[in-house]
Amino acid sequence: MDLLQILVNGLSVGAVYGLFALGYTLVFSVLGVINFAHGAVFTVGAYFTYLLIGGAVGANGLLAGLALPFALPIWGALPLAGLGAALVALLVERVAFRPLRRRRADPLLALITSLGAGVILVNLIQLLVGAESYAIPTGALGGLPASFPLLGARVRTVQALLLGIALLLVAMLTLWLEGSRNGKGLQAVAEDAETAQLLGIDSTAMVRLAFGLSGFLAGVAGGLVGLSVSIAGPYFGIGYGLKGLAVLVLGGLGSVPGAVLGGLIVGLAEAFVPADWSGWKDAVSYGFLFLVLLLRPRGLLGRPLPTKV
Amino acid sequence: MIFGRLQRVGTGLLTLTLLLAGCGSDAGNQPIDLSGGVPVGAVLALTGNANVYGQDQKTGLELALKQRNGSGGINGRPLKLALEDSGSDEPGANAAFTLQINRGVLALVGPTLSQQAFSADPIAQRRGVPVVAPSNTATGIPEIGFFISRVSAQSSVIAPLAIDRALKLQPGLKRAAVFYAQDDAYSTAETTIFQKALKEKGLDPVTVQRTQLNDQDFQNQISAALREKPDLIVLSLQAVDGGNLIRQLRELGYKGLIVAGNGMNTPNIYPICQKYCDGLLIAQAYSPELDTPANGAFLKAFKATSGGATPPQLTAQAYTALQVIGEALERLDRRQPLSAATLTAARKELMAEILSGTYQTPLGEIRFTPTGEVIQSQFFVAQVRMDPGGRSGRFALLQ
Repeated sequence: MDLLQILVNGLSVGAVYGLFALGYTLVFSVLGVINFAHGAVFTVGAYFTYLLIGGAVGANGLLAGLALPFALPIWGALPLAGLGAALVALLVERVAFRPLRRRRADPLLALITSLGAGVILVNLIQLLVGAESYAIPTGALGGLPASFPLLGARVRTVQALLLGIALLLVAMLTLWLEGSRNGKGLQAVAEDAETAQLLGIDSTAMVRLAFGLSGFLAGVAGGLVGLSVSIAGPYFGIGYGLKGLAVLVLGGLGSVPGAVLGGLIVGLAEAFVPADWSGWKDAVSYGFLFLVLLLRPRGLLGRPLPTKV
Repeated sequence: MIFGRLQRVGTGLLTLTLLLAGCGSDAGNQPIDLSGGVPVGAVLALTGNANVYGQDQKTGLELALKQRNGSGGINGRPLKLALEDSGSDEPGANAAFTLQINRGVLALVGPTLSQQAFSADPIAQRRGVPVVAPSNTATGIPEIGFFISRVSAQSSVIAPLAIDRALKLQPGLKRAAVFYAQDDAYSTAETTIFQKALKEKGLDPVTVQRTQLNDQDFQNQISAALREKPDLIVLSLQAVDGGNLIRQLRELGYKGLIVAGNGMNTPNIYPICQKYCDGLLIAQAYSPELDTPANGAFLKAFKATSGGATPPQLTAQAYTALQVIGEALERLDRRQPLSAATLTAARKELMAEILSGTYQTPLGEIRFTPTGEVIQSQFFVAQVRMDPGGRSGRFALLQ
């Protein structure tokens, strides 16, 4: 029973890490830079979910007391929140990435502009809805029970949902990448943007697509985390952002299956830390990352870097 | 070359200016700047994971300021309050304390968290600025020094009352599980008190689970605790993590009693744990049901601005902290006019004045020990009662 409980806890958290890191991966694969605004987009998704599900803004912020005139079930709210977050991610691309790309600026500069965009987004959230914590209403799952027994373990329904939705999205993304024209176009741009452009693939459109998808995944992940453990203020995406980076590196930069595998491994590593030592769970996951990088610097599923002559 | 020289001269001038600014920042021997009113400062956690406390406290300060200035201020001069956000961490509190002290405030209310107080209070102590803490309950706060006092009774006085009440409600309790945030001074101090109280009642904790202040997912600790089949759970956590833990605890099937410490003593837990907050037992230093003129006036003022809601303890304590400073300033100004005093001397005199007074406050009558510890006569135990929708509730006083 103990092992199953730990597996369930680890996999559900790991699935979110994986979903989060996938967003990083998509952008990294086409641009070769890490989008530091990703954590803020994740946060935006969580707030969108909260509002769409019928939550009202608290007593602080410019939107104090605001509530939408309708309340959607979680099944409607999550994809819509994902779409909202995708739009925000596209805005980040337009403001923080595209101008630098046009000037062929050093990709490292985009790290700073994306960090700036992230900080602005987080502050904007605070200005609009205040710094207080928000919890998605407990009845958001409709008639579903709060938890259910599974082979002697107790599973929160939201944990099962987290795992199910994350795996579903990963499967859909993989199928789309491998089986659709746009998916293959995205892979071609990731491989070599200039050659892809010469072959008639609109690399700018592919970059936008990567940002849109990345934002969607972050938005859904944010909504799921908000549903599970509440939204602990505008800065709550920062911790996930750092963890997502660790997952990204662990799985292998730019590798979609690597991001998922990395997420699950980090989630499980944290879950296997004895409860009495939970204060060390971050140290364990980062220590694990450190160890993997020592033994395999390109990450678990990363491709070896080409040798330049 | 000329440009290089100019640059060096410029850098030198900038360094000198900064050094002079640094030297001039402590206006200790200057007269008090009374333009615009008698300056006092407050440092509260208005952002970060403790913001839920800071918002309650801000309301209390605003009410106390309005009350003070509505009844003549400090002998005719308005009380001028400068509020700074400390965030919810120690560096934020240190920076805000330093900023307020450099501004020349006579006294400070804050910071919100004990963890912050252990870091920021020594700054005020070194600079000789009176601090009245509105919500620090960890052991050892007033002992930081002469200039540090508090109106929030320490956990050791209040926390055990909730255990007593739990045993009164369910005398057969046998298995207590304890949770606390190991990286938070308040939580670690309070859990020691809770665990001692449990042992004294013959309830040795069957498990002690440690969390982190910024944790949101507690399923591992909860699973481990529930394996021990507890019938009482005792929490020393802050509002956000505590609210989250209660929600996850109930969702994972725990049906027994839950006792929480002072960190969860705020209506701001309602939106976090929602319907699952129902039944939570908390010992309190304030009850809206206390029938005294001071509490009556406070209640009336609070209800007028909150649409009839009842005030939480943190609001009452913040109100009390500024009330104490206001009354002490008034007495000091009568004895030694502030307009003729230097800032350093006035701060020292003010601290002595604060410690010597007796105050009729919303918390009841309070006074201080010579070390700055509050002496309060009445405490309460309340049980959270959530409304059917699970979005709002109240702390129902248990008689």
